[in-house]
Amino acid sequence: MEALKNNPFVKKVGLNRILLVCVLIVMYVLFALFSPTFLSYSRILSILNYACFLGFLSLGVTFVIATGGIDFSIGPVMFCCALISGYCLMSYGVPMVPVMLISILVGLCFGIFNGYLVAYWSIPPFIVSMASMNISKGLASVFTKTQSVSWPQSTSEQGWYRYLVKVGNIPVGLFIFLGIAIICAIILNKTKIGRYILCLGSNMEAVRLSGVNVKKWQMTAYIICGTLVGIAAIFFVSAYTTVQPGYGDQYNNEAIAGCVMGGTSMAGGLASVSGTVIGVFIIALLQEGILALGMNKNYQLIITGIIVIAAVYFDVLGRRRKN
Amino acid sequence: MGEVILTMKGIDKSFPGVHALDHVDLEVRRGEVHALMGENGAGKSTLMKVLTGIYTKDEGTITFEGKEVEFHNTREAQDAGIVIVHQELNMLGHLTVAQNIFFGREFKKGIGIDDRKMNEEAAKLFERLNIDIDPTTTMSDLTVGKQQMCEIAKAISHEAKVIIFDEPSAALTEAEIEELFKIIRDLRAQNLGIIYISHRMDEIKVITDRVTVMRDGAYVGTLITEDCTKNDIINMMVGRVIYEDPKTHSMVPEGAPVVLKVENLNAGKMVQNVSFELHKGEILGFSGLMGAGRTETARAIFGADPKQSGDIYMNGEKVTINTPQDAVNHGIGYLSEDRKRFGIVVQKSVAENTTLATLKEYLSGIFINKRKEEKVAQEFVDSLATKTPGVDQLVVNLSGGNQQKVVIAKWLCRNSDVLIFDEPTRGIDVGAKNEIYKLMNKLAAEGKAIIMISSEMTEILRMSDRIVVMCEGKITGELDIAEATQENIMNLATREIS
Repeated sequence: MEALKNNPFVKKVGLNRILLVCVLIVMYVLFALFSPTFLSYSRILSILNYACFLGFLSLGVTFVIATGGIDFSIGPVMFCCALISGYCLMSYGVPMVPVMLISILVGLCFGIFNGYLVAYWSIPPFIVSMASMNISKGLASVFTKTQSVSWPQSTSEQGWYRYLVKVGNIPVGLFIFLGIAIICAIILNKTKIGRYILCLGSNMEAVRLSGVNVKKWQMTAYIICGTLVGIAAIFFVSAYTTVQPGYGDQYNNEAIAGCVMGGTSMAGGLASVSGTVIGVFIIALLQEGILALGMNKNYQLIITGIIVIAAVYFDVLGRRRKN
Repeated sequence: MGEVILTMKGIDKSFPGVHALDHVDLEVRRGEVHALMGENGAGKSTLMKVLTGIYTKDEGTITFEGKEVEFHNTREAQDAGIVIVHQELNMLGHLTVAQNIFFGREFKKGIGIDDRKMNEEAAKLFERLNIDIDPTTTMSDLTVGKQQMCEIAKAISHEAKVIIFDEPSAALTEAEIEELFKIIRDLRAQNLGIIYISHRMDEIKVITDRVTVMRDGAYVGTLITEDCTKNDIINMMVGRVIYEDPKTHSMVPEGAPVVLKVENLNAGKMVQNVSFELHKGEILGFSGLMGAGRTETARAIFGADPKQSGDIYMNGEKVTINTPQDAVNHGIGYLSEDRKRFGIVVQKSVAENTTLATLKEYLSGIFINKRKEEKVAQEFVDSLATKTPGVDQLVVNLSGGNQQKVVIAKWLCRNSDVLIFDEPTRGIDVGAKNEIYKLMNKLAAEGKAIIMISSEMTEILRMSDRIVVMCEGKITGELDIAEATQENIMNLATREIS
């Protein structure tokens, strides 16, 4: 084990990430053994569909968790984005490109709202995000008059947006997601924004006393998160077309699970974008796998819940050992 | 002195980067006051934390009343009869004195709490100690000195057999110290073993029977107090370390310009009408008892806490400082007394901490130029002689003194004109301490203006060009180094209270 830890390749990539990839592969093989459909390309595409929108949520919440905060509103806000923009598209005939911008804008607004309350009014992130979860659900219901919204099918005139997820058999969505993940990794590790977000997540008071405007950077993390949630909404409808008001909660836990599993610490200060990406694939595979094994949706909830607890527990355990 | 009640033998304890205790011995008898002495960072507090179960020891044995013991938390130590009266008061301000004393083991009456019984029991304790405190007073209404008495009462209520006093006099006035000594003598007469930790040499001669000296985490020796002189103890404490010569006169050149001027600063109860001037190249010592409002003054100047009124002038110009950001922009740097909480980001590297206040200068476009950052960090590691395997090392792995150097590097990097050092050598081992002193003298010689807040009288007298003394939120006096002595500083520091 010691020799493995000191191997230069392992050191560079990180033992955690290697183990995570192993988990991903083992899980895939197991599911394939139980259900041979897992070897089919269409099944893989469907897993990627799921990973894609969830990935944007998870990337977003990675920034927030890096500050030591939490956001339980990402799932419902994503639905709110998709519903409001979709309603504009279907009922008011707004063209597709502005509709996408509306989706991102709605997410951005929620990011600003959450971030402002957390940073400038010092309301605990837990409370703020719980409140905006309710607000986003209510807002979407009012806007759509409690009707679900179905975005256009691929064949219709406005259907080109579905190419964002896949063109023929090419998983375009995967590439866009990985591209944005790379941008996120650069922001987090190479820029001032990321440096300050990570530092304030680790010791906010020390950073403040170094003359840094910590409130601004704390809020920035929530704004980045909100924007990514708005993007996630576009990829959700591209894959599934229909959204219903009042839902979306389950994706909170899935996104947070993916992020924490990937090595982002709930205590803040430590975050890994590549970890989040692998974590998201594991979660997406699991959701598909549970259904493929003939268990219903309720088991997804139970298992994701357990995974969140396990991932956070390992994080706590790791920190305790360090101390 | 009676028979031995407590023996600690070969106690060893390491933290990442620091060998805090190196096979330390200590023996306490019934009916003795045993002084535990050593410089800051010598390991006294760590040893006591090992004894009371806050830290687990790596090696060694503890024998208490003839049996080998190992406490896993303070509760177990208390139950066995070893209690500690902390330097920092662990009291809940909103509860009454009696409620504090019996906190966690309240007397019950049915399902409720029997406050009347607690008040009676507390009154009995105070009677035994000969202290006049009403058990129904709210804790926050008492002076620091009286609160300390309550801590002692609490300790005694545990049926203590060994009581540890961790720098009990740090926040007390002369009169209160007298009262404390009377209590300690009473306790000694009742055949308790008492461990007394203090920096103040005079107290040691007055109150203790034996002295154990520690240095750099190691045991140096044990003496009978009566048979030794002050100098014997000092030599044992300081050992081979040669400090910067104490200043006998101010090193500030005649007519040095005023860099920072503070006028009628008010910020809560702890900062009242504070005014002073700081010159270029000067080290201005801030002395006073614990809780005199020195840190609060520094934080108010720096914009870390809100202030009610007062003007601040930098180089003759009036400036507005509402946030630390403003202060940093005007060239003020603040090194907190609590590095871990307010100074460094422990999970980040030396380089990242060094550039924390100046990150803007290391940007190439939107990217951080890591090569440039590491180069500058390396320069400061070299010039400050910071001991670290590399600039990419996480700060958490460095020792206290080296962490302090990283914080200093952060402000030097910013090229601040005014540096506020708040307890610059707290928790730093003896060797590194002198390096910090040298560094401060060098900075002053280069023309930086330094405010040094320190609770160590020797440090104040060694480093300052001029000394401001505070007491209960007010400045009670200003002394030139040439006229300053321990006595006249202490007089000013306790002026308001008595």
